[in-house]
Amino acid sequence: MSEARKPVGMELHHAIVSHYAAEARTLQNQQYRDWFDTFIAEDIHYWMPVYEQRFVRDRRSEPTPDDAAIYNDDYGELRQRVDRLLTGQVWMEDPPSRIRYFVTNVEAFETRPGEFDAFSNVLVHRNRRQSEVYVHTLGREDKLRRTESGFKVFRRKMILDARVVQDKNLYFFV
Amino acid sequence: MIGTSALVDNASASQSRQVFWDKDVYQLEIERIFSRCWLFLGHESLVPKPGDYLTTYMAQDRVILSHQADGTFKAFINSCTHRGNQICHADSGNAKAFVCNYHGWVFGQDGSLVDVPLESRCYHAELDKSSHGLTQVRVESYKGFIFGCHDPEAPSLQEYLGEYCWYLDTIWDGPDGGLELLGPPMKSLLSCNWKVPTENFIGDGYHVGWTHAAALQMIGGELAGLSGNRADMPFDDLGLQFTMRHGHGFGLIDNAASAIHVKRDGYVKYLEDTRAGIRDKFGPERERLYVGHWNASIFPNCSFLYGTNTFKIWHPRSPHEIEVWTYTLVPRGADIETKRSIQREAIRSFGTAGTLESDDGENMSSATYNNNGYITRQGRMNSSMGLGREGPHPVYPGIVGLSFIGETSYRGFYRFWREMLEAPDWDAIRAGDATWDAMWTNRNFWTDRAKEQQALSQD
Repeated sequence: MSEARKPVGMELHHAIVSHYAAEARTLQNQQYRDWFDTFIAEDIHYWMPVYEQRFVRDRRSEPTPDDAAIYNDDYGELRQRVDRLLTGQVWMEDPPSRIRYFVTNVEAFETRPGEFDAFSNVLVHRNRRQSEVYVHTLGREDKLRRTESGFKVFRRKMILDARVVQDKNLYFFV
Repeated sequence: MIGTSALVDNASASQSRQVFWDKDVYQLEIERIFSRCWLFLGHESLVPKPGDYLTTYMAQDRVILSHQADGTFKAFINSCTHRGNQICHADSGNAKAFVCNYHGWVFGQDGSLVDVPLESRCYHAELDKSSHGLTQVRVESYKGFIFGCHDPEAPSLQEYLGEYCWYLDTIWDGPDGGLELLGPPMKSLLSCNWKVPTENFIGDGYHVGWTHAAALQMIGGELAGLSGNRADMPFDDLGLQFTMRHGHGFGLIDNAASAIHVKRDGYVKYLEDTRAGIRDKFGPERERLYVGHWNASIFPNCSFLYGTNTFKIWHPRSPHEIEVWTYTLVPRGADIETKRSIQREAIRSFGTAGTLESDDGENMSSATYNNNGYITRQGRMNSSMGLGREGPHPVYPGIVGLSFIGETSYRGFYRFWREMLEAPDWDAIRAGDATWDAMWTNRNFWTDRAKEQQALSQD
């Protein structure tokens, strides 16, 4: 790795890992409004680019927010997504599905005082209806900002491993 | 397999559930529909330069679409003529040649076999390379949209689109260079029969208010009133439905082109700035289409929403599974910021995490899979909404149905679907050209309605 920067110390690392666990539990409890209010900063860019399968010698340049992306939301757009779930009219989520998050491989680096680059791997496990099971793995590249109450994320880039998504939709927060 | 007249009953506008379930029906579709109709491959904008290629499917066949040195497009089967290995595993790229990973056979960008390792030592120059090129697919394009066909007897693409060209010109020709597709495509698997989303896009104005109740409420705007089906709207006056000779069709919601978009200033301005040009070029009846929202399918298996500007291919993988590909349609003449904005809104609503798309998957999967019950699949499905409130129109080609909510386009889709399954060849289809719309017996529906409306307005 060419990265020479030092990861955060044990206390901060613990704080960030606990932060991610609390975020996952909030989502698992379907407390979407709480998740949005507690964990998301107002300058959020919530982004899941589309990656193609390309030959190494024929790579396209890295996607930017101007390119096709499954999520490409600012604060208002992400809030609208939360609003949709709270209308009570999302029939596919009634009865509710269960979703469980496994957040691992957390690394964090201080970039500026109180701001951090944080990397993690996430395994998302959805159980729907009687026997539908969907599993997704993705990498997360976050920029977190420390606040009095904890951390908020202001950049979240999600890198989905699958090219062909094996699920009815990717409408869940991670 | 039950007979085609039981699969589709045109008179009662019903279909057997076997159309979504039976594996023999699917096999017949592969032979008589997917091997004989024009199937969407890509848009010229996705492969703009010589050497550009993309890989896609025609039904379950893997295909490479390649932009040739002379500016034409070729498509060929992505399977080595030696032992069958897939030649190219990339989604897209630029290449002068394709090399098979197995024994290193080299194919040119036109699919011809140009080099074979150890040719003199091991083949002793006995291999006829010229007869081992990749299997070619007939390729034609219309206004930049490229299609492939396996059947040399099939009509030209333009004849296959038929009267749909009159409609498509409004947007595919448009005011200034028509439409292009933005990739890369999103891809996902959905456990449903390919016809479930095709029929949904071709003619399902009815589900919008209920399936998408949450999203419409969230978005607000022109269609918010539909949310929850509480609307007391004059649906008959708010749109139309269209179906055509070769099963293509769409539904129109008047004045609603950008209705699903939240951030839409650039696109709204673009439509306002260009609609007069459309009126001059195509007339007021097509200007009406230009500013409306379309839910559309091109027979057999690609669909789009004009206005929302999502473009879909429903690649069949089995009787009960498809691979969904999603592109975005943008007007070529719009500025780059408007194109980007359209792409974001189209994907926000109809991408893999789409605020509306995310409502549809279970309906489609469930409508397919419930038929694994033996008794369930003996039943029938109904598409009789608006039966008879439709017919030939003085201005709009094909058969036109009243209202933006009705099932005219379903009836037309299944009519042609059955016709293709029954026809031994394209000559047999052509023999039916003059009488294809005979099942719409009310030939005066629209002229009678015009007289009624005139009488009402004189009271």
